[in-house]
Amino acid sequence: MPRFLHTADWQIGKLFGQFEPDEAALLAEERFAAVERLARLAQQHAVDAVLVAGDVFDAQTVADRSVHRLFNAMAGFAGPWLLLPGNHDAALAESVWTRAARLHAIPPNVRVCLEARPVLVEAAGMAVLPAPLTQRNTFNDLTEWFAGADTPPALVRIGFAHGSVQGILAEDIDAANPIAAGRAASARLDYLALGDWHGTRRIDARCWYAGTPETDRFRANDSGRALLVELAAPGALPAVSVLASGRYRWHALSAELQVASDVDRLLAELARFGADDVVQLEVGGRSDLAGHRRLSDALGQARGRTRSLVAELGALQLEPTVADLEGLAADGYLGEVIARLQAAQHGAEPAAAQTARDALVLLAGLLERRAPGAAAAAAAPGGDR
Amino acid sequence: MKLTRIRVDQFRQFRRALEIDGLDAGLNLFTGPNEAGKSTLVAAIRAAFFERHRSASVDDLRPWGDPAAAPTVALDFELDGQPCRLVKTFLAKKRCTLQIGGETLDGEEAENRLAALLGFQHAGRGASKAEHWGIPGLLWIEQGGAQALREAVGHAGDHLRGALEGALGEVAASGGDALLATVEAQRAELLTEAGGRPRGAYKEALEAEVALAGELGALDEAIARYRQRVDALAALRAEHAADEAEQPWRAFRAHQQAAAERLAAVREREATLAAARTRAAQVDAQLALLRSQVDGFAREDEAAAARAAALEAARAALDSVRAPLEQWTARRVQAAQALETARAALRAARQAEARDSLAREAAASRTRHAAGAAQLARAEAAHAQVLALQHAVAANELRPADLETLRTQDRALADLRLQQAAAATRLVYVLEPGCSLELDGDTLSGAGERRLLAAASLVLPGLGRLQIAPGGADLAALAARGADLEARQQALLVRLGLGSMDAAERRQLEHARLGGELATAQATLDALAPGGIDALRAEHVRLQARAAEAAQALARLTAPAAAEVAVPAAAVSVADAEAAEAAAAHALAAIQEGLHRAQLAAANGETALAAAARELAAARAQLAAPERARRIAAASAALTDARAEQLTLAARSEALAAEIAAARPDILEQDVDRFRSSAEQLEKRHAERRDQLVRLEIELQSEGAQGLEARRAECARDHARAARRAAELRRRAQALDLLRSLLRDQRRALTRRLQAPLQKHLNRYLQLLFPHACVEIDDNLVPGPLTRPLAGAGGGLETGDFEALSFGAREQMGVLSRLAYADLLAEAGRPTLVILDDALVHSDAERLAQMKRVLFDAATRHQILLFTCHPAAWRDLGVGARSLAALRGLNAVV
Repeated sequence: MPRFLHTADWQIGKLFGQFEPDEAALLAEERFAAVERLARLAQQHAVDAVLVAGDVFDAQTVADRSVHRLFNAMAGFAGPWLLLPGNHDAALAESVWTRAARLHAIPPNVRVCLEARPVLVEAAGMAVLPAPLTQRNTFNDLTEWFAGADTPPALVRIGFAHGSVQGILAEDIDAANPIAAGRAASARLDYLALGDWHGTRRIDARCWYAGTPETDRFRANDSGRALLVELAAPGALPAVSVLASGRYRWHALSAELQVASDVDRLLAELARFGADDVVQLEVGGRSDLAGHRRLSDALGQARGRTRSLVAELGALQLEPTVADLEGLAADGYLGEVIARLQAAQHGAEPAAAQTARDALVLLAGLLERRAPGAAAAAAAPGGDR
Repeated sequence: MKLTRIRVDQFRQFRRALEIDGLDAGLNLFTGPNEAGKSTLVAAIRAAFFERHRSASVDDLRPWGDPAAAPTVALDFELDGQPCRLVKTFLAKKRCTLQIGGETLDGEEAENRLAALLGFQHAGRGASKAEHWGIPGLLWIEQGGAQALREAVGHAGDHLRGALEGALGEVAASGGDALLATVEAQRAELLTEAGGRPRGAYKEALEAEVALAGELGALDEAIARYRQRVDALAALRAEHAADEAEQPWRAFRAHQQAAAERLAAVREREATLAAARTRAAQVDAQLALLRSQVDGFAREDEAAAARAAALEAARAALDSVRAPLEQWTARRVQAAQALETARAALRAARQAEARDSLAREAAASRTRHAAGAAQLARAEAAHAQVLALQHAVAANELRPADLETLRTQDRALADLRLQQAAAATRLVYVLEPGCSLELDGDTLSGAGERRLLAAASLVLPGLGRLQIAPGGADLAALAARGADLEARQQALLVRLGLGSMDAAERRQLEHARLGGELATAQATLDALAPGGIDALRAEHVRLQARAAEAAQALARLTAPAAAEVAVPAAAVSVADAEAAEAAAAHALAAIQEGLHRAQLAAANGETALAAAARELAAARAQLAAPERARRIAAASAALTDARAEQLTLAARSEALAAEIAAARPDILEQDVDRFRSSAEQLEKRHAERRDQLVRLEIELQSEGAQGLEARRAECARDHARAARRAAELRRRAQALDLLRSLLRDQRRALTRRLQAPLQKHLNRYLQLLFPHACVEIDDNLVPGPLTRPLAGAGGGLETGDFEALSFGAREQMGVLSRLAYADLLAEAGRPTLVILDDALVHSDAERLAQMKRVLFDAATRHQILLFTCHPAAWRDLGVGARSLAALRGLNAVV
């Protein structure tokens, strides 16, 4: 009764330039930790093998240190690992795989499927048909040969590929590395283990994308998982269970503030985020000074709590109320300046409007700091991304 | 605002309480000497308003040596018609209360209210400084600080604008200037003041972004190159593997081998052909030799026959040349005789010619001798004549000098006679006929005249004698000179042998005639004997000898010739004889030549005959050789064999050549080259590709280890961060820039609205100090250039900056300006209190008098506290002075 762990898209060596360096370093580090967790899961569930369906490395020329670290991270599971080259780490003439081999980094229990040839894992009762990418991108269906390949009837037939199942994923990403829909059926596969799509996704009963074990972008949904696949016998339907393997949860939020309670709702949402959350926030609409200040305070606190918080308030228009202005003691010509900036932030020219908004926030901050009796601890409203 | 009461306790020198009550709503004059406490009182009022009661920086308020003191200031004043009381205690008992009407405020709240009402700020921490004092700082003039107007106005600017805006019905900005300064400072961190160009952190961020973008581009390029080469590696490997499997050069090597073999076969045939051709050439040579051999035998027979014929011909030729030889010999003898005869005739003719010549010469000599003799005779006669004439000439000679002397003497004598005649006494007489007179013996009769040169005696017959003496002495001198001259002439004539002057003249003529004759005779002689008479005589002797010699030679020649004259024909001339002799000699030579040739021909003929005979004998001997017949037969047989071999060889060569031509050895050679080169190319490419592969593998391996893409990811991360930072700073810079320009614009607009009323008030005061002067207010509401009439009655204007005025004038202007501000504030309904601490001490009496008018006028609108240590100077202010010393005494009593 073969049982194996299906994972993919480890993207070892990926950096996260959109974050501050310390945060980015931690996120990059976590990808190794994710592999360690996968090894533990494999150990816990006593699987017969682990299949990694492509994009193990994020790039061909990662540092030697990263190569060593990766294979070390896999040490937690001593059973067979099958690695498949994907588009990021294709089996080129000179590749990360040839280098890993030269470095003697690949332990004996790890097998890299560099050729389109059946791999028999007799102990696990599995015959694996790999479709490694030997070019960065190909427009041929590399899984075509599966149908014509014979495997011992006692072994389950596992397809192993990296690419886009045609007609399923969004139009704009299925151009390269196509895989025919229904390949599992047409090639008499018991299971087709796929990589490339970073979210966990069931294509049909025998065909799954495992997704990346550690989320690496805001866009991918349902990532940070691995699949535990059990096949009772050749021809039986696979039993697939989804295991959590990721640590960080990535959230992309956008909020349109119009009334004071909108700020409350946004703040409530921010309050939920903790140390394993990576948050991207875009705020638009309009707010009075008090709302802006509350939001700024909340963002400052959230930044301290979360792994990373990137907030863009550039689209948020500042609409000081009469009370705000009194609070700021922005009388006389300062009031006039504020009025002009307020008007300018609605200007037709986006750059000028943005500058006016920035100037308004800046001025409010200066006035607030100056105003007697104003909250001295109020965070400066400027400087948010 | 009107102060009504001031109470100070435990405050510096006021260790005990001092209270001043009943302050006037207008002017209040406080006097006292130094140290009397004027400034302390002012300090107390300032501290009450400006210093926080909780401030720890006010130690200077307590009296010396009293650490437990609680300096207290209590002020009663009226504000907007409401009675107010401020009590402030520092240090030991920090307390502050403010009552406004019924309202009571405590602590900080009280202080803040006070600051808002009066228009000033409290210090954030530490002691209050000038920049916090606002409007009171402007109106409360510290000792010696009246002229420092610009700073005070600067610190009060916002409060002034705020306070005065009320008058204009608008709201001003609190702390606008401070805000603007902050904005400007923050902007200056990012942008340059002048061009608004990035600077500092902003500039660094932009540069960092650009640098990283460049680095990123370079890495992208490197990665693209790396990837291309990885692809190239794959392609090379595929090609190499295909080559290894196919080994395409092998087929070419096989083709090369086959072609080479075919070529070798052809080469063999070519060698055979060459051998055949060599043999054919040898046979050809042999043939030629044999043929010439056979021909040689035939020629020998022909030669023998020819030799026989030649011998006959030689013999005939010898006979034909021998015949003329005898004829030539005979004719030679005749010619020799003829020559001898001609020579004899020539000799005779030459002798005859010589004799004739001598005879003619002898005759000529005789003739010349005779002519010479005649000439000599004539010459000798001429010579004799010349000698005679020379003698005659010598005898008649009269020297021209002597003759001239004679002629001179003669003219002198004649002259003398004329003088005597002129000086003589004329004696004219006319005598009666018959009567005579005797004069010195001469008898005179008739009429006549006598000149008397000397004393004369005239005898008058019958009468006696008359002695006449001519007058004058020169007559005697003349007579003496006449006698002398005559004597000298006579002597000369005697010496010359002449009788008279005439004789001298005649001799001179004779002499000339003789000279002419001599010349003629000489010429005749010269013509006859040009070389002289002696040369003529020698010539005559020579001619005579010559004639004798010629006669002798003729005589000698004639004698032997006479015998031969008759023998040959006498009529033969020498020339003819010579010609005949030459002709005879010539004829002999010609004949001699002919004879010689005939002799040569005969000899040649004999030699030829002998040779012909020898040759014939040799030819005949050859023909007679015993081996000759056998050799002729052998040669003929060999010739036949050689011809047969020649034909065989020709046929074989042709066949071989055709075979070789059909095989095309040149093309075969090319084939070998082509196949070899093709194979080599393939092999070489294969080897090269293998090397290239190794090289590329090594390069890619080492480059891959550099982690290009990892570095790119890092670089991209850094670049994204740099770009974010640059964008943030750009937005901040733009926002600050916008803010600054808006704040400036608004502030400027506001200030402009305030300038006019302030100017009005200021100019009103100014008229009291400088009639007809006016002053401009600048953007900071500070008096600017002052324009006033020039000193004196000129009527012109002068304009100068406030700062350019004298200290005293600036002080006065400072007070005026503050009063103008106070007016402006009062109009705006703001509290005003003016304090002057020892102000205007630098003003002269006249100006001070004007300033007193100003102050008195201002006091009608504002409460003014004036402190001075010169009570006398302010006595005419119109108010009673309060002596601080007196007050203290009074209080002490209280």
